[in-house]
Amino acid sequence: MSDITELSAPETRPVKPATAKLPVAAAELMRKRGALKRELLKQKNLVPKRIAILGGSTTSEVKSTLELFLLSEGFEPTFYESGYNRYYEDVQFENPDLWNFKPDIVFVHTTWRNITQFPEILESENEVENRVRHEMARFEAFWDKIHEKLGVVIIQNNFDLPLLRPLGNLEASQSFGRLNFLMRLNAEFAKYAQSHTHFLINDILYLSAQVGLEEWQRSNYWYAFHMAVGPTATVALARSVAGIIKSIYGKSKKCLVLDLDNTLWGGVVGDDGVQNLILGRDHAVGEAFLDFQRYVKDLQRRGVILAVCSKNDPENAKAGFSHPDSILKGEDFSAFKANWNPKSENLRDIATELNIGLDSMVFVDDNPAERALVSAHLPNVAVPEVGSDVSLFAGILEREGYFEMHKLVQDDLNRTNYYSSNAQRDAAQASFGDYGEFLASLQMTAEIGAFVPTYLERITQLINKTNQFNLTTKRYTSAEVEAIAQDPSTITLYGRLADKFGDNGLVSVIVGRVLDEEMEIDIWLMSCRVFNREMEFAMFDALIEQCQMRGIRKIVGVYIPSAKNGLVAGLYGTLGFGSVEGTAGGRQLWSYDVPAAYEVKSHHIRRAAETVTVALDEAKATVPTVKLA
Amino acid sequence: MPNDGTKRNEFLLEMDEILNLPAGTLRGDEKLENLENWDSTSLITFIAMAETNGGVSLSSDEIVTCSTVADLLRLARVDGDAA
Repeated sequence: MSDITELSAPETRPVKPATAKLPVAAAELMRKRGALKRELLKQKNLVPKRIAILGGSTTSEVKSTLELFLLSEGFEPTFYESGYNRYYEDVQFENPDLWNFKPDIVFVHTTWRNITQFPEILESENEVENRVRHEMARFEAFWDKIHEKLGVVIIQNNFDLPLLRPLGNLEASQSFGRLNFLMRLNAEFAKYAQSHTHFLINDILYLSAQVGLEEWQRSNYWYAFHMAVGPTATVALARSVAGIIKSIYGKSKKCLVLDLDNTLWGGVVGDDGVQNLILGRDHAVGEAFLDFQRYVKDLQRRGVILAVCSKNDPENAKAGFSHPDSILKGEDFSAFKANWNPKSENLRDIATELNIGLDSMVFVDDNPAERALVSAHLPNVAVPEVGSDVSLFAGILEREGYFEMHKLVQDDLNRTNYYSSNAQRDAAQASFGDYGEFLASLQMTAEIGAFVPTYLERITQLINKTNQFNLTTKRYTSAEVEAIAQDPSTITLYGRLADKFGDNGLVSVIVGRVLDEEMEIDIWLMSCRVFNREMEFAMFDALIEQCQMRGIRKIVGVYIPSAKNGLVAGLYGTLGFGSVEGTAGGRQLWSYDVPAAYEVKSHHIRRAAETVTVALDEAKATVPTVKLA
Repeated sequence: MPNDGTKRNEFLLEMDEILNLPAGTLRGDEKLENLENWDSTSLITFIAMAETNGGVSLSSDEIVTCSTVADLLRLARVDGDAA
């Protein structure tokens, strides 16, 4: 199952109406904006988000289009818009309206038109370099101030390119060329992004190329409305920004489910035989299938889970991957459903098997009837209208941005390995009559410690994506997690778990707020990868150690019920907490007196870490841990 | 492009959508200033629609001289008259 969906039970109830699907064509989306918004607002459980758009040009079109995309992803956005081209002043002169708005996210919508000084023709390399430094200093001061004052995630456009090239091709090759200058700035923006986790690039250099520069920059809209990006191109821009935001809040898709015949190869493997499948460089369409397979493989390499859902005999289906040109192999798929059942049933089974939500899945099938059936029965599954031309499949998936990721950490890459080893775990479990014996046989080792910089991105990812084993479902930005890690009044714990089949990675997080001799659990979550493995007990044992060492006598357990975390409603009771009567406001409180002599609860996990650092601050002491087993 | 009544009606229906009105509301003689949802967003959408559907490139200067829906139809070359 996905490490980031985290125990989200396979969702079978539609949570949004089928009408919420946005049209693909930009003009249709614009025309139907009002009706679409009305429909989308009918969805239940929309998550409110406050988005500040700081614009270097007119932003009203950006705002109204972004609103649609965010609504379609389950957010209910409220917007702040800077005055026209007041993006810089709003921040540097501390506009109280922006400060009081308290955004969750700041989106800076600037373009090449906001460059203050382009190089002069024949200017020396040194002078151009100075201009790059000057421009970067201006932007860095601006970003740093946003971070310092608001502490939020910043989404920043990089630079598109001007349509006009007075220097022709020299614009690209000469250092004083404007295109060359913008590309250097883009490289500097990227460097800043690499060293600041709260800073994300919205790549309009790519988007403008994808849309086409003439469509991106429409002079009539610029002169009439000072829109730096034309209205239909704004749809692409808003989709991209919404994709980043959905990734930040853990709403990107996690699993690509694929049909086989005429989707991954040409022909019907059961009828035509493996040797006659159209796949490979010696055939025009075969090459297109090959390239689509390569794209799918690339997605798998970066952590997208693959599954097969095909109407086929299983032997035939598997045989297809033995084609000598097939890039994809049977072992690339974490779930494999080849049978004659309705595909909606198979998709449900895949969701159950992988323990991910149906809303985490994208289904690709060349057959329009199958697509329509799945859409009708499972409205939460994304079913792109890929048509039947395989040469377009990857581009359509790409355009939708289903798998957008704002950060890539090692655990993402290890995810598919986890699924392979999990099949081995399941097989091993079946051979044991006693569950305790099975747990012992796994030879589990846990590394549990206070937050360290290396893991902050993964910890932030888990905080924002875990739904089921999540006691409070509180979401924090990377900047907030950094602050928590350095706050001496918190106890932080991360947990990694490995076993004889492989490394599950960082799978659990606890944050406790300490006040005198009491600690309140602010966050406690765990990946569904390791549910029923006693990892929650190992984390609790480590938490008790920390409490004992810090003289904490009482732990207040907080449980905030959500649509998805019913799984842990009884966790505190299981651990020996007493329920506190009369709690309200959606928070259920539990109480636990920390005993002087504590008997560990985890009996099958060996602790690997030798020390636990109390906080990131190096001045703080490191304290020895007690071996649990 | 054909400038018959069908095109005009289709355009009016699309204008209904832009302005978030029930289909068939607009007849063509309405004053823009009286339409509650006529704003910069609907104006931009109208221009984009005229460009997409009719292959007509409009500037905002042309549009600001319009006072009725009929004027917009004329600009978009779907007023039923010869262009």
